[in-house]
Amino acid sequence: MIIDCDVHNSWNSSQELLPYLPPYWRDVLARGELPGGRDSFPHAHRPWLHPEGFMRTDAIPPGGGTPGSDYELMRTQLLDRYDVEYAILGGDEGIEVSTLANPHLASALARAANDWMVQEWLGRDPRLKGSIVVAPQDPAGAAEEIRRIGEHPDMVQVIVSSGSQRPYGDPFYWPIFQAAAEMGLPVAAHLGGQGGVNANPTGTGPPSYFWEAHALLCETGMGHVASLIAHGVFEKLPELRFLLIECGVAWLPAILWRLDADYKALRKETPWLDRLPSDVAREHIRLTTQPLEQPKDVRHLWSALEAIDGERTLLFATDYPHWDFDDPDRVRIPPAWRDRVLRENARELYRLPPPRAAAPQTQASTS
Amino acid sequence: MTPPAGEHRPGFYACRSDEIEPGGRVIRELNGRSVGVFNVDGRFYALRNRCPHAGGALCLGPVTGTTLPARDFSFVYGMQGRILRCAWHGWEFEIATGRCLPDPRMRAKTYPVVVEDGAVYVMI
Ligand code: FES
Repeated sequence: MIIDCDVHNSWNSSQELLPYLPPYWRDVLARGELPGGRDSFPHAHRPWLHPEGFMRTDAIPPGGGTPGSDYELMRTQLLDRYDVEYAILGGDEGIEVSTLANPHLASALARAANDWMVQEWLGRDPRLKGSIVVAPQDPAGAAEEIRRIGEHPDMVQVIVSSGSQRPYGDPFYWPIFQAAAEMGLPVAAHLGGQGGVNANPTGTGPPSYFWEAHALLCETGMGHVASLIAHGVFEKLPELRFLLIECGVAWLPAILWRLDADYKALRKETPWLDRLPSDVAREHIRLTTQPLEQPKDVRHLWSALEAIDGERTLLFATDYPHWDFDDPDRVRIPPAWRDRVLRENARELYRLPPPRAAAPQTQASTS
Repeated sequence: MTPPAGEHRPGFYACRSDEIEPGGRVIRELNGRSVGVFNVDGRFYALRNRCPHAGGALCLGPVTGTTLPARDFSFVYGMQGRILRCAWHGWEFEIATGRCLPDPRMRAKTYPVVVEDGAVYVMI
């Protein structure tokens, strides 16, 4: 049994959101300009185009449509096949609202995406849990939305894109963290949102090729971790947990070594912080594993992960149905950590109930 | 390889040769294995439908060409119809040989194919 912390459920067309929008925004989505044809979702696209599309080609539903849009196929290929206890759904294009300049449009779309998640997905299968997408460029609107739908028992986290206008520790964003802490929800930043108003996905300016960029986008994770710790967000909100999804993991130890050293030298800049950044990270920062780094010698990876107490800080994820899917049966996690990383760390973070007695499930299919 | 007792033909029957157009494929369960049989310009090839990288559904990926090695910024598209991109992470494999283009140490499992009287047999 596993808990999969990064599963993408999609709409086939952004127009599926129309019933969930108030009249003015419905009019905008139905009649206004869209970035890629009538079915596309309002967002500013990243500057890199994947030369193959970024979906697993075996995840296209039999009758056509977007991978991740067909619950039955998700059940066969993921939920039943890998004996998934819970799948944390993050939606797919929803987090791209962060790229829009208009904060009101961004928040309206986020609200619609959340209602769509609840109505179209969460009731279908008790294994499905949802993420509350919010527009970080509208902190007040985001906080209101967290308080509105955060009561729903199957909504288990707040989600934003890792691409952002500023690092997430900035006091500008605090209303979001306050609302999440109040509702007892972790905040996750998922890789994405590298376009539009989020103009700085990497420090050098944009790389040229998709694979080059994809490998480097962990940079956003570095910035958010440093910023949240330095601004003392976790000192203010001791219950809060921050999860990085799909931002890589092996870089974290090196960044924390550097943060610890510089903090020791210049502690006086941040007098609210009275412990080492690495201590804060161990308690408050969590990371999903996928796509787990793949060195030739796995010991090199495992010794890095030991340095961040990976047994307690890592959460397994597949990223189904995306092209960089990790298979839980093959993922290279130290055997002694598997229970915690593949399941128990997520159970703790999301406060999920202990395992159910054998739930009735259809037979797993293998191919 | 000798077919197991009870199999009267060489290897395992996959399909009729006219069932697969050039550029097309079928996926069959043969001798307990999922196998992809491909028609590349009229020649038939069989690969195990299990990717040597991470066990993905190799044979459900697209058949394509790819860029040939180049030293400058030129993009010469070649091997058209001879490349299979794994359905999961998209690593490229040469259909005829199973050679993995991005990692020469890796190879997809291939099986010999025999075509007899318009029937395609895979030697497993
Ligand atoms: S499983 Fe085929 S490329 Fe990874």
